[in-house]
Amino acid sequence: MITFPGPVSALVTLPVPADREGIARVLGLERVARDALPDVRVKIPAFNRLLIEGSPHSWDPVDVEARLSAAAKECLLEVPDIEPGDPVSLPVCYDPELAPDLEDLSASAELGVAEVARLHSRTTYVVLATGFAPGFAYLGDVDPRIAMPRLRTPRRRVETGSVGIADRRTGVYPAAGPGGWRLVGRVPPALFEDPVERIARFRPGGTVEFRMIDRRAYEAECG
Amino acid sequence: MNPHGVVERPGPFCTIQDLGRRSGRRAGLAPGGAMDQRACLWANRLLENDPAAAALEITLGGFALRFAVETVVAVTGAGCAAALDGVEAGSWRTVRVRPGQLLRLGYGSSGMRAYLAFPGGLDVTTAFGSASAVVRDGLPGLLGRCLRAGEPLRWHAPGHRCPVRRLPGELIPPVPGSLTIPLVTGYEWAEFSRDDRTRLLDAAWTLDPASDRTASCLAGPAMTSGPRVLDSTPLVDGTVQVTGDGLPLVFMRDRPTIGGYAKLGSVDPIALDDLAQARPGTPVRFVRAEPDVLRGALARRESFFGIGDEG
Repeated sequence: MITFPGPVSALVTLPVPADREGIARVLGLERVARDALPDVRVKIPAFNRLLIEGSPHSWDPVDVEARLSAAAKECLLEVPDIEPGDPVSLPVCYDPELAPDLEDLSASAELGVAEVARLHSRTTYVVLATGFAPGFAYLGDVDPRIAMPRLRTPRRRVETGSVGIADRRTGVYPAAGPGGWRLVGRVPPALFEDPVERIARFRPGGTVEFRMIDRRAYEAECG
Repeated sequence: MNPHGVVERPGPFCTIQDLGRRSGRRAGLAPGGAMDQRACLWANRLLENDPAAAALEITLGGFALRFAVETVVAVTGAGCAAALDGVEAGSWRTVRVRPGQLLRLGYGSSGMRAYLAFPGGLDVTTAFGSASAVVRDGLPGLLGRCLRAGEPLRWHAPGHRCPVRRLPGELIPPVPGSLTIPLVTGYEWAEFSRDDRTRLLDAAWTLDPASDRTASCLAGPAMTSGPRVLDSTPLVDGTVQVTGDGLPLVFMRDRPTIGGYAKLGSVDPIALDDLAQARPGTPVRFVRAEPDVLRGALARRESFFGIGDEG
């Protein structure tokens, strides 16, 4: 579906789930759109959607719609081959003292804490979208065995570096603040001190790996 | 390096702004940029600067700058009362200054934000293609905070000579007592109830004091049918979003790049300049607009000010 949310923008929603395959198709669409449309100024892929902004001098909605729907059909026929680039690798300490929901989630998943940590850290995640807060990335897909809905009532304060799970998604809080995801681990907060690095770390379609570290290594990284 | 001027008083919210950034959008960075782009563009234009030159955005006056060099600056924006060494200097004009002189910008009778441009633009750090400060994003240094008292400033061409220029009165944008904002309907518009759609277009909204660089918040009759949005959706400039309390807000320059609440469309990007100068309590109405009309106006503005595709 293609809509026009502003005078020089088009929003394509692909009829696919908002998971890692969905973002792959969206990135494929982005690649095709870049070549098919003139004067594209901004492209924002997020989940199963792509926002395109163009120039007011050349934007022709009829032409844009025709080109985008042709491109969308192509990306729906087969999952485009996307080069993800080098994964962002982040150390995570899965310690109940640092991760207040780890034991609850383990219990409800009927798995040990160590098994939850293993399942969470063995997946190479794809960035499905960035946003919510600057430097926050929605990562997917979480192993279904450890997927769990977000908290009914968000916490007033989640610490910097907290790793959360919400359904089939996971993410790292780049700064302290309110949040409702189930907290299962912690990345050393030192990795969020540099603001440019913190904000620019994730890009839609990029990949992310979590390396399990023990409490001693975590404390060492905290300095 | 010696400063060309020192900020003696920054006022309540003084930041460095240009036309904002596009390159960080994909990583989740706010567009940023001057809230009233028209006023900022005129300030740079009066000095023959690049339209994307970095200038100061001064919110609600209370500002004073001591010059260390002989130079020329431009003051624009609604309602600011500029005075050089205590002598009224007016606005929408260039002002020649000598070393030691103090330029003050007071709280004017109308408007919210004044712009002070410098020849060649401010000499400051940029990130992701722009010098615009977005406090919410926490970029380093002046990219992430307001100016402080004692802040030294340098600009690229202090020795630039240009004649004293005043913008003719008929070109100075008025600050209207009430706003009628053109709206392109979109996003979840069709999923709102007929009553809510009618309410948005018929109600007399007022600008709420909670408004800031992120959003212009509106007070009025709450909407009741807000459709559920499953996943956050990429936002465009001026997106109208309805949050949990049923009230609409218009996203401004420091907006997020994606949003998880139901949205009704977006306003005329040029109308954001008027919203930027509207004081709390200003009556606001929405009127449906044809996208091609807004697109034409945008194209004319870009051509007039020489804004390109970079950034």
